[in-house]
Amino acid sequence: MYTSRFDYLYVAPALLVMLIVIAYPVYYTIELSFYKTPASLSLADKTFTGLDNYSTVLTSAIFWKVTWQTIIWTVLSTLFSFLLGLGAALALHRAFIGRALLRGLLLIPWVVSAVAASYVWKWLYHSDFGAIGALLNAVGLTKGPVNFIDNSTTSLYALIVVNVWKEFSFAMIMLMAGLQTVPESLLRAAQVDGASAWQRFWHVTMPQLQGVSTVTVLLLVVQNFNSFIIPFIMTGGGPVGSTQIWITHIYELAFLRQNWGVGAAYAVLLFLIMMVLGYFYVRALTRGDDKRAGA
Amino acid sequence: MTAVTESAVRRRSVDWWRWSGRLFLVLLLGFTVMPMIWMIITSLKTGFAAMQYPPQWWPAEPTLDNYTRLLDPSGRIGQDFLHYFWNSLWVSTITTILAVVVAVPAAYAFSRFRFPGRNFLFFAVLLRNMFPAVVFLVPLFILMKALGLVNTHGSLILTYLTFGLPLAIWLLKGFYDNIPIQLEQAARIDGATRFQAFIFVVMPLSTPGIIATSIYSFIGAWNEYIYAYTFLTKQSQMTLPVGIQRFFSENATDWPGLMAATFIMSVPVVVLFLVLQKYFVRALTEGAVKH
Repeated sequence: MYTSRFDYLYVAPALLVMLIVIAYPVYYTIELSFYKTPASLSLADKTFTGLDNYSTVLTSAIFWKVTWQTIIWTVLSTLFSFLLGLGAALALHRAFIGRALLRGLLLIPWVVSAVAASYVWKWLYHSDFGAIGALLNAVGLTKGPVNFIDNSTTSLYALIVVNVWKEFSFAMIMLMAGLQTVPESLLRAAQVDGASAWQRFWHVTMPQLQGVSTVTVLLLVVQNFNSFIIPFIMTGGGPVGSTQIWITHIYELAFLRQNWGVGAAYAVLLFLIMMVLGYFYVRALTRGDDKRAGA
Repeated sequence: MTAVTESAVRRRSVDWWRWSGRLFLVLLLGFTVMPMIWMIITSLKTGFAAMQYPPQWWPAEPTLDNYTRLLDPSGRIGQDFLHYFWNSLWVSTITTILAVVVAVPAAYAFSRFRFPGRNFLFFAVLLRNMFPAVVFLVPLFILMKALGLVNTHGSLILTYLTFGLPLAIWLLKGFYDNIPIQLEQAARIDGATRFQAFIFVVMPLSTPGIIATSIYSFIGAWNEYIYAYTFLTKQSQMTLPVGIQRFFSENATDWPGLMAATFIMSVPVVVLFLVLQKYFVRALTEGAVKH
């Protein structure tokens, strides 16, 4: 390895851009969270209020409802994306004709924009002319029009389906790559020793996939926690706040109600949660790195 | 004798697994493509045909009217739509070029050099990915105002560049890690400067990585919605994801038109992705799996 004073030059352009566009907003958000700022965002008129914004957040009636919905949204989206992705990765592991095509098709939802996906699913869920409701009626599961997203008991779950549709193939592609690192010889040895297919999967394949799985799950959790487009476009957080999650709620507080301080306080709390997740993420990523560096 | 029975049992259990795998794939494929097929079918209907119950599962009188309307430069709708399309293309292309230019040296440095603070910097790069766009909206909007960039494509390019860089650097680093350092050392022994070794030895070998990073940046910029929605209020500057929304929710939603618009919007990224799939997939998984 060589070192020189000029090494920093390679990183300097990237750092400079990020310093302006990342460090400043982070600082600004933290500052905003301790002040009461007028709707016009004129910073000269702001007044210091200490932790008032934070206590407003934590004591507001909607806080726990939104938090609970965020947890449901994040956990279910991550769980089902991971399981579908794992199933697809296992089923696609063995070579067969058309595998690349199939993989490509399965990845399309992940590539298209969330905006397009939201509109398409909104149309599928349409309470009068939606294809899904009509299909359920046709097979006799329901009678009459079905309300998926205009109904506060089903709306959150209907959006989770869209989210899983959009991102399961991300888990699939990560786990497919992970599967390639499972040594064939281990599986064969287990087979010779009489392990059943399930035992081979559970005791040989899964432990080998642990590293990739951890990274995948963490990335999914972060992404789901930060989702915005699907709930924003499909329901705007409604009906009666049933699809409001942290991010859409922050957006509403800040941009629709000009409640800048409270929105910023939420954002800072979100930073802290992300920091904790980030710690685990980095640890999962570097576990191998340390080993390599030590060798 | 026992050996035969045992292998027969194993055979059957393997088959059972394989068949359930196939069934699962078929169901999953249905779940994946049905919405896209319905989007296309709807886009071929007239507004009247789309608003029927029960729906026409296949359009009685398929028509390309929705597409010709969107792509006709002489009509008002076509004019606006093509304008949004062009804006998206412009912003995404410039973002991609700049992202590669900035990320290549940074990724190379992260892969090769051990400078103080290198780890800290790299994790700062990665952690950036974890913070949601909404948090950055207000301060960035003010920053863009201060820089005089509101309602310009510059605001989007600068933002996409920053938020695309961490991932771009990460992807490229994976590729540089795989290029043996001995190749550069050999070039330097032969009298090349480090810069020459970088340009003539490392760069050509990292082309797949650069392609992958470019697709990633392009798709990311093409699909971005939140910043475009906040920074641009002028119709003439809007990109597709924001533009199509303005179009169709003014009065009653024209669903077939909207489906045609989402189809056209999806075509460039899907085609790009399918053609260059192998680079894309390799780059994405490189970093996560190698450790």
